[in-house]
Amino acid sequence: MSEKVLMKVEAISKIYQMGEVTVNALKDIDLEIYQGEFVVILGPSGSGKSTLLNVLGGMDLPTEGKVFMEDQEITGYNDKKLTAYRREKVGFVFQFYNLMANLTARENVELATEICKGALQIDEVLEAVGLGDRKDHFPAQMSGGEQQRVAIARAVAKNPALLLCDEPTGALDFKTGIKILTLLKEINKKYNKTVVIITHNVPIGAMADRVIKMRSGGIIETQINDNPIHPEGIEW
Amino acid sequence: MKKLDVRLLRLIKNSKGQFISIAVIIILALTVFVSFNMMRDNLDNTIAHYYDITNYGDVFVEVTRIPGNAIENLYDIEGIEMAQGRVSNDVPLRVEDPNEKVRVRVVSLPQEEYIVNDLYTIEGRSLQENPRTAVVLQQFSDARSINIGDQITPYIAGRDYPLDIIGIVGSPEYIYLMENEQSLLPAPERFGVIYVTEEFAQSAFGFQGSYNQVVIKIQEEHLNKIDTIVEDIEDQLDRYGVRRVTKREDQLSHSMMMEEVEQLDQMSTAIPLLFLIVAAIIINIMLSRIVKNDRMSIGVMKALGYGNRAILAHYVKFSLAIGLVAAIFSSFFSIWLSQVFTNLYIQFMNIPLLQMDIYYIYFIYGILLTSIFCVVSGLMGARNVIKIMPADSMRPEAPKAGGRILLEKITFLWQRISFSWKMVIRNILRNKRRAAFLVLGIALTYGITMVPVFMASVWGNLFTIHYGEFQTMEYNIDFAKPMNHNAIRELTQILEVDHIEPKVEIPFELRNGWRKKNVSVIGIPQDTAFYNFKSPSGTPIVVPRDGIILTEGLGKILGVEIGEEIVLKNFIPDREDTTILVEGMTQQHLGTNAYMNIDTLNHVLGERDMITGVMMNSEDQVVLKLQDVKNISQVQSVEDMMNSFLEFMDMIIYSVGIMMLFGGILGFAIVYNTTIISISERTMEFSSLRVMGFDKKEIYKMISRENGLMTMLGILLGVPIAYGMCYGVVSAFATDLYSIPLIIEPRSYGVAAIATIVFVTVAQLATIKKIYRLNFIDALKNRVS
Ligand SMILES: Nc1ncnc2c1ncn2[C@@H]1O[C@H](COP(=O)(O)OP(=O)(O)OP(=O)(O)O)[C@@H](O)[C@H]1O
Ligand SMILES: [Mg+2]
Repeated sequence: MSEKVLMKVEAISKIYQMGEVTVNALKDIDLEIYQGEFVVILGPSGSGKSTLLNVLGGMDLPTEGKVFMEDQEITGYNDKKLTAYRREKVGFVFQFYNLMANLTARENVELATEICKGALQIDEVLEAVGLGDRKDHFPAQMSGGEQQRVAIARAVAKNPALLLCDEPTGALDFKTGIKILTLLKEINKKYNKTVVIITHNVPIGAMADRVIKMRSGGIIETQINDNPIHPEGIEW
Repeated sequence: MKKLDVRLLRLIKNSKGQFISIAVIIILALTVFVSFNMMRDNLDNTIAHYYDITNYGDVFVEVTRIPGNAIENLYDIEGIEMAQGRVSNDVPLRVEDPNEKVRVRVVSLPQEEYIVNDLYTIEGRSLQENPRTAVVLQQFSDARSINIGDQITPYIAGRDYPLDIIGIVGSPEYIYLMENEQSLLPAPERFGVIYVTEEFAQSAFGFQGSYNQVVIKIQEEHLNKIDTIVEDIEDQLDRYGVRRVTKREDQLSHSMMMEEVEQLDQMSTAIPLLFLIVAAIIINIMLSRIVKNDRMSIGVMKALGYGNRAILAHYVKFSLAIGLVAAIFSSFFSIWLSQVFTNLYIQFMNIPLLQMDIYYIYFIYGILLTSIFCVVSGLMGARNVIKIMPADSMRPEAPKAGGRILLEKITFLWQRISFSWKMVIRNILRNKRRAAFLVLGIALTYGITMVPVFMASVWGNLFTIHYGEFQTMEYNIDFAKPMNHNAIRELTQILEVDHIEPKVEIPFELRNGWRKKNVSVIGIPQDTAFYNFKSPSGTPIVVPRDGIILTEGLGKILGVEIGEEIVLKNFIPDREDTTILVEGMTQQHLGTNAYMNIDTLNHVLGERDMITGVMMNSEDQVVLKLQDVKNISQVQSVEDMMNSFLEFMDMIIYSVGIMMLFGGILGFAIVYNTTIISISERTMEFSSLRVMGFDKKEIYKMISRENGLMTMLGILLGVPIAYGMCYGVVSAFATDLYSIPLIIEPRSYGVAAIATIVFVTVAQLATIKKIYRLNFIDALKNRVS
């Protein structure tokens, strides 16, 4: 793990205004993410984890504050640059899979890779997530876990600098969950990619270089693991 | 292939019903656009070319009698390129059935190299010196199955003249063959034209060395001064008894053909525009629905790094694909339709040179026009893509807040409505924009359906009004030369007559300042029982003692009002022009005339007791008994008119059918698409209803009720729209020859309503599959994932 800062978040807050009600989804957050780091974000439901991940991934803009990617301020980007940022730098795994219903597993992955440079071999990635034989199935023909794996393959195959995963194991059984985590760890180590994972699952924190705990829109604790364990060793 | 395009193809496959129905509308629009434009150009160019090779004249003069050398003198007028005399008279033709009345116009052809109004030989030989030969106009020979080698026998001045047919020809003067302005429709089996040698015509009609018509060609560079040239001609020919001077633009066949060109031109814009607008609105609504459904997918695309432009393009390609598919099909159809039209023209008109040239430029225009429409409507429909944030993809849409509707506040009424009707009404009001479109679409369908229904009945109305209400005589008899009242006595001796009135019918030029118009002025007894003049507002007008009654259209042409004076310029040598007071304007749907008291007209003409014909009612066998009576030039019976009308109906029914089909397709597409969209939008709601225990049939019934209610509203709104459309058609079709009365019969409203309901029902039935196939359980499940 290097000391090079990949992303820097300065004093961001996110406020949702819904008529009379104001929701403070993120409150004045400062954060640095290092190149090649494996970060796990923990926190209860509604604590702002997804919102933070969205902001990191250039999917949403904070109400206040700045976000930097390799010294470039993405909060100052226009729409076009932000799109390019998402395309080239970020791989995103959604909490609810979000596959395109009328594309097959393989096509869902291709949809992502055909617009970016340096993508990985699609078949290899699908093989790696254990879907080698379901490539031509449509999302409706797959189980939730399988869909989740397609979603991961879609994010990974882009070979992005930053892989953001919103509860990648939420819908999976233990064994498959471990497999996915192992895969993510491998990508992290082998290609030196930065990985940020959101989870409810406290034990998963043990495999991270750093664990960030959130509550009601703020970071309440940052915990550095000097000796992260291999995912195989996780139990829950 | 790009994965977005793969997705697009599957999207299209899933909504092929909508795709096809919109494509069909665009196909119609494009087909009409391309083929009507091509037809117009073809017709216009062919006519111009035809005129060119036959040296079609620019001015036609009818005189009492003019010697050949007087025609030579016309060359003194600057700008006259060619002037030729001819003898032309309408005479009866001997045919096998004595009850059949056939008339031919016998026209002489000069024996010269260069002939104004030359003929186009279609079959056989052109006319040579032999005075016992004739060539005949093709429409006539076709209608009466006359062949080369046959003999025909015109009956001229009490004698039969058998002539050998040596050729079949076309003439630029009779592309559209009608006897005169009063005949509403061509009747080629009862009126034809034959061309004979000058020698024959002059001797048979007693015109040795002289003529009764002059056809004049004006030098191209002087055509802009045609009006002054015409005046010079009138002056110079005054002493030969000028009866009528007609410029080409007023010539019957020419003006009918130009009318046809004009109508093609109008329809080539109006119909495609209307259909493209409807298609654009459907595309707009459909795409905005798809985009709404695809919110999550669009978020994902954005998250993956697809820009707004790429995603917009993805959806616009949907509408563009419809446009392009339609363009391909319509290219074939328009060539086919042009062919059909060309054949119809060849069948109903005589343009021997007409051929179908394909003007590719209209395909290009059409495709461009469609592409623009599709892209614009696609962009408008998909514009919400821009508003969707990638983060939006992460959460399902919150249900829309449903407020109370106005009707609910009227508790008294609301309580009386059953639960399912309440749902129906709420649903309609929930998406007001789409409801408005559906109502408008049905109204439009109603209107489009009404036009042909109206047109079908209007000809009958036109006929009954003109020949049943406006003028009520059964026969109109014209004498070959002016007579006096003795003629009436003689006629009553030959025939059993119920009622008979004299008339004087003389062409005049009516002038008001620079405005002028040549018309037949008809003199009738002041107490006529045959004419019922009515002002446009319906008040009866009596024949004035001194003044003149104009038809409404004539009043407009001359720009005069009742109480103003106009000039009657007669064509009698050396007689002064008269000014006369306009005392009434009458509504007349057929033809353009002016009416005067017969005695006053006689006075104007410097005559006393002159009559040129009679009008009468008789149960007798009029045509048969007058067959060989001298000095009768024509007997026109209302029954004959009725027969030509019935023949014409066949053609009307054909075009009525096509128009109905257009209306039906439009209505189908509108109802089908809005229903499909509304079903897809309410999948969740239906699923919940299913879970609550409603069955498929009940849900389908609910939708049917919604559409039924909308159809009723649509038809109500459709009534004024239909009226407006018929008004538009009436104004577009009004010509010098006829004006269509805007009378929509109550029955027509009913017929159009039934047709509309049928179209809606068919569309409704087409959507039944979608309801029955809806997977309700999936819909509920998918909400979470
Ligand atoms: N688009 C939105 N409009 C209004 N409020 C929102 C919106 N998105 C998120 N919120 C609110 O912001 C807060 C944080 O939401 P977020 O989705 O980040 O939570 P989370 O930590 O990811 O929760 P979970 O573990 O349940 O996914 C919540 O209170 C949520 O209701
Ligand atoms: Mg979340």
